[in-house]
Amino acid sequence: MNKSVSIILTLGILAVIGIFTIGGGSTPTDNNVEIRDGIQYVKIDAKGGYLPRVSLAQAGIPTKLVMNTSSTFDCSSALVIKKINYQNILPQDGETEIDIGIGEPGEVVDGLCSMGMYNFEIRFD
Amino acid sequence: MNKYTLHVSGTHCASCKILIEDILGEQDFIKNSEVNLKKETVFLESDKGIDELIEVLNEKIQNHKYVFSREKNVAKPTDDIIWRALPLGLGVLALFFFLQKSGVLNIGIGGGVTATTSFIIGLIASVSTCLAIVGGLVLSLSAKISEDNVSDTKTFTLFHLGRLVSFALLGGVLGTAGGAIGINFTLTAILGLVSAFIMLLLGLNLVGVLAKNKIALPSGIFKFFRNIEHKTLTPLIVGFATFFLPCGFTQSMQVSALSSGSFVSGMIIMLAFALGTLPMLALLSFGSASFANSRHAPLFFKSAGVVVIGLGLFAILSGLAGLGIISPIFNI
Repeated sequence: MNKSVSIILTLGILAVIGIFTIGGGSTPTDNNVEIRDGIQYVKIDAKGGYLPRVSLAQAGIPTKLVMNTSSTFDCSSALVIKKINYQNILPQDGETEIDIGIGEPGEVVDGLCSMGMYNFEIRFD
Repeated sequence: MNKYTLHVSGTHCASCKILIEDILGEQDFIKNSEVNLKKETVFLESDKGIDELIEVLNEKIQNHKYVFSREKNVAKPTDDIIWRALPLGLGVLALFFFLQKSGVLNIGIGGGVTATTSFIIGLIASVSTCLAIVGGLVLSLSAKISEDNVSDTKTFTLFHLGRLVSFALLGGVLGTAGGAIGINFTLTAILGLVSAFIMLLLGLNLVGVLAKNKIALPSGIFKFFRNIEHKTLTPLIVGFATFFLPCGFTQSMQVSALSSGSFVSGMIIMLAFALGTLPMLALLSFGSASFANSRHAPLFFKSAGVVVIGLGLFAILSGLAGLGIISPIFNI
């Protein structure tokens, strides 16, 4: 194979890998946020990654994260939330409530799977 | 006694010096052999004539892919191989990440965890992101061992055996212990980082970045590593250690085993899972061994090196993010 052809191919494939792994248009949403009896619930689906990726929540209200799993066997079931020192393996099916306290304006809570390739964030404002 | 300086080709690693000198030392018609890796020559003393000597020695050493000759063999232009290996290896990586992104692997399996479901989950896990760590490690070790010592399938067999047995036993232990113990996330993350670094090193070595400067460490150190590589226990222990490598699928199976409540059921879950991962991992390791014998061997090793480096980098960056050291980069 020609060297320059190979270099072009290499760069092309690198770009494709970059799009697959790093990109991902994540529009922040608050569709999954609900306030009931003075408690804010943020619902996130965990299966082959987390959805929605970015949630917008209100600051100053006690907030609970609701992790929804259904036949989740992959890494997204092994949830780590550094900010509140949460490390747990979610049940394969069901909903798990996690208390994440009261958010400050501008605060961001990150959730990750234990291997680090799936993540989500909750932005308070 | 005649003194000869022969050319030797195929010396790709520093331990080759030890191996060749060992083999030459076993021949009673040879005295004082010394390999010079830099010049790719071997100095020796023997009673035999040079042509006979070369013929006899090549016969003895052909299993190891070295060739003795009178004149220096003109090295094949191997630099071009990296330019074929680079797009090839990256193509494999792109395909892998595409598969993850496509969601094909998020197959739902309803109901409780039985032996059948955990077998299927094992099959899925072996082509999932877990492949980045467990598979990457298997590929890099297998390719490295195959490159050093062709047709050493015993090592792989022991590795897979160690993996199956330890999954079964540790699964049983989890089943017995119930909720008393948990698998520590931080510990698995650190183990994952260690294996990612090993992959990166082996990958660089396979590609040939590190091979260019064959730093001649004292031969004692190489003898030590060579002995480790060929000990029966080492592949068994590495197989055992894969139980603790970070892999979401393994972790959720471990939890299923934990909650299964008995030794036998925990054992069955983990064994079925390990059996499910076996086809892919066996393909990686025995595939490397058979490629090592083909004429595409240099291309295979370099492409494997590119794949392993890519997976290693992915695993390191993800692992650091998992530990909260850097902010997450990937989201596949």
